[in-house]
Amino acid sequence: MPPLANAGQAPGPPDGGWGWAVVCGAFVSIGFAYAFPKGLAIFFKEIQDFFGTSYSEVAWVSSIMLATTYGADGKKRNQDLSIRDQARCRHPSLKVLSAAPQLPGPISSILVNRYGSRPVVIFGGLLCGIGMVSAAFCTSILQLYICVGFITGFGLALNLQPSVIIIGKYFLKRRPIANGLAMAGSPVMLCTLAPLNQFLFDNFGWRGSFLILGAILLHCCVAGALFRPIGAPTPPVKPQVTGKGKDALKEEVTEDAMEMGSPTKVPMEDKVEEEGGKACCEKINQYLDFSLFKHRGFLIYLIGNVLMFLGFFAPIVFLAPYAKHIGIDEYSAAFLLSILAIVDMIARPTTGIIANSKWVRPQIQYFFSFSIAFNGTCHLLCPLASGYTGLVIYAIFFGLAFGMVCAMLFETLMDLVGAARFTSAVGLVTIAECCTILLGPPIGGTLIDTFGDYKYMFIKCGAVMVLAGTFLFIMNYYNYRMLAKEEKERKAKEENPKPVRTENEGRNSWNKETTRDGPELEPLSKEQEGLKEEVNGINEV
Amino acid sequence: MPAAFSGKRPGLRLLLLLCLSLSGGSPADPTVTTQDASHSQANSLTKMQTGLNVSSPEPMTTTRTVNRQTQGSPSDHLTFGHNVSVPGPDLTTQEFKQETKEHVSNATFVEYEILLPGVSGTSTEKNITLDRATRIELSCRLDNKYSHLKSLQVTWKWGNETLRHINKTENSWGIQLRIWDNSQLGSYSCTLKGEEEMHAVFHLQVPKIEGKEKPIVSYEGDTAVMICKSYGYTPTAWTWYMTNGSEQVAINDSLLADKYVINRVSANVTHLKILKLTKEDDGIYWCEAGFELGKSKGKLKLKVLSLMVPLKPFLAIVAEVIVLVTVVFLYEIYSKKKEKCAADEKEFDQIEQLKSEESNGLENSSTRHRKI
Repeated sequence: MPPLANAGQAPGPPDGGWGWAVVCGAFVSIGFAYAFPKGLAIFFKEIQDFFGTSYSEVAWVSSIMLATTYGADGKKRNQDLSIRDQARCRHPSLKVLSAAPQLPGPISSILVNRYGSRPVVIFGGLLCGIGMVSAAFCTSILQLYICVGFITGFGLALNLQPSVIIIGKYFLKRRPIANGLAMAGSPVMLCTLAPLNQFLFDNFGWRGSFLILGAILLHCCVAGALFRPIGAPTPPVKPQVTGKGKDALKEEVTEDAMEMGSPTKVPMEDKVEEEGGKACCEKINQYLDFSLFKHRGFLIYLIGNVLMFLGFFAPIVFLAPYAKHIGIDEYSAAFLLSILAIVDMIARPTTGIIANSKWVRPQIQYFFSFSIAFNGTCHLLCPLASGYTGLVIYAIFFGLAFGMVCAMLFETLMDLVGAARFTSAVGLVTIAECCTILLGPPIGGTLIDTFGDYKYMFIKCGAVMVLAGTFLFIMNYYNYRMLAKEEKERKAKEENPKPVRTENEGRNSWNKETTRDGPELEPLSKEQEGLKEEVNGINEV
Repeated sequence: MPAAFSGKRPGLRLLLLLCLSLSGGSPADPTVTTQDASHSQANSLTKMQTGLNVSSPEPMTTTRTVNRQTQGSPSDHLTFGHNVSVPGPDLTTQEFKQETKEHVSNATFVEYEILLPGVSGTSTEKNITLDRATRIELSCRLDNKYSHLKSLQVTWKWGNETLRHINKTENSWGIQLRIWDNSQLGSYSCTLKGEEEMHAVFHLQVPKIEGKEKPIVSYEGDTAVMICKSYGYTPTAWTWYMTNGSEQVAINDSLLADKYVINRVSANVTHLKILKLTKEDDGIYWCEAGFELGKSKGKLKLKVLSLMVPLKPFLAIVAEVIVLVTVVFLYEIYSKKKEKCAADEKEFDQIEQLKSEESNGLENSSTRHRKI
């Protein structure tokens, strides 16, 4: 249990206790968001026959849903679209349709900023459930587009971001582990949903299955219920409160609430509402912090990730077709993807644990760049794989690399911008990334069609990712050095406060600076670890 | 299954046949020519077969189909009035005369061959799918390395009847057949007896239609669509049957137009749409594809469920979700209450402490403020 009872002592993120329940909820939530659209593919053949439509029209359901869901987050957008879907992605009208629902991204962020994670996730879960239940009674393919594509897709989108955000609120020291565990939900859910969907389909047909799936999706509401609002979202607030008086609570403020002359007693539980109330009064800048674009770390992350996503999903999409192309039968090709999912499942929490270790955590950005480059190298080596054994080895390494990258995707962003601005950061990142995510697999598909050979697609993906990894590595090295320099300056300033200022004001300005940049920017090097702990209020003085 | 088209001499054969049909030339010639052609093709077969794996039947068999279609209308095919009692119609002079007189010869010609493994006691089988009248040549060949085996007796049989007119070449024994009727399909076997005994069987059959093993699940009042596909061969007609008790009743969609809709979506695909489903529609359905040489059926199962069936698990899961959410919220309220009590207690203690600190001096409080 977070020590909320320590009045006057604003605790840092609990890093445990209820946090693990939150991780469970996030596991479920993220798992559904990523795995559910893929799992629906089993029903498409039957729906196609039933409505007498072409395959492409049915695949739009999946495309719309993916676009709506991942448009929210933008991650893994085309992950499981088949090659035919990819061809369709080049269709102009579909591109427009896919690009349009990128709105969920910032919408999720705005809603979370305003209302907190819990209501958004519960609402998202309800939306999913309603979407699927109404899909069970659809009488035309167009209605399916709306019910399954838009409504359920939007519901899943509302699940995804708040889950990631609330992990940042509940964890700091163990955040990489928490992130790794939560992201592991995706492959686990996929492995569970695939046979479950098949079972439901065999016993209940597609309509009955949609009905039951709607009920299953309501478990997102349960996950949302677990997302207990926590009143300590911004670390800079806490360190200042070392006293025990209730008056100290008055000064527990975020950058927003600093000007707020709020009541003295601010119970932790009401904190989010108060901040929400504050945000309501502020301008749009408080919903979506556009000042992030001036943030060095954020920009580095953005550019690196935009580059990376150009080559991230195409290999997964084309792995099975490539296997079939070199003569492997369908079931073995599908088994390759299963191997990938299983290795992915194990890799994510493991990466989380590794990333949390004291050697890696301070340099987590390097680890992230390394995993991207590793991923790229796998792709570059794939054309050398001959036969089924070679592809199995490739699938194992790819699963490993994929899991590593995914586990740290959000962790590194949190590390760069801090939990306070993470909400807005994630919303902004998704809008920016959506273009490359949309482009990635179609470019790969074009390469395959042009050259008639899959190896160019793998080379392209590998090259892009190695480039992205290297870029991130170099830029983060630069970033870390700049941060170290800034930290030194700050320390110097702290030791020599200007005489005109009172000590109090000096602290406040220092406080403001740290708030702006986020304490996570300071690498947890040994000499600064002590400082960081203070800043994050981990030390209970 | 005609696997490989050699296309080595189709043009030549086409030309030959065209000349023949136009000139009504000597019947012996085509026989000889055919024979020569088949011989030479057999030779090329030999060449093609070098290096093939002996153990598996598939690669051992090379087939070539030469399509010779003259201007006869599609429905015409070889009508010989041939006496069926003589099994395995072979190419006699008279028959061919008849054939050329009718100048209908749009039958396809296929050759199938099984390469016999030199091992005694083996039986190799091959399934051949025919959908229309075909002239077919089946041959059993022994690999060159076994040609040392002497005193080989080869018998061709159709069912129990022995066939004559075996075309023997150096290493292969073949028969030529003309299949135009369902009754001529079946199993043709060649047996090699000598020092070793080997057996090879060709199963001539109509194309198979696949239904669906898994039942199609649908609901009362809903529509069900059942699909049958023919792979590779175009049927002349599709018929749907439903099982009534133990009988198969043909479905007449013009009679019951608001219940059944049969739609031939493409040449090889047929759809049966059943509207307004009721419990009685539950059961087994058959789709029958009619080919020239016979009919073939595919089986489909339809299951009609009432809406209550999925509703039960649905409600169960929804109830579970509500219970879980309630439990979570109750636990939260409970733990908050606990914290509040603890907080109140602590507050009380802290207030006491403050009071004592205040009594010690202002300095302490200012320190606290400064730290903030």
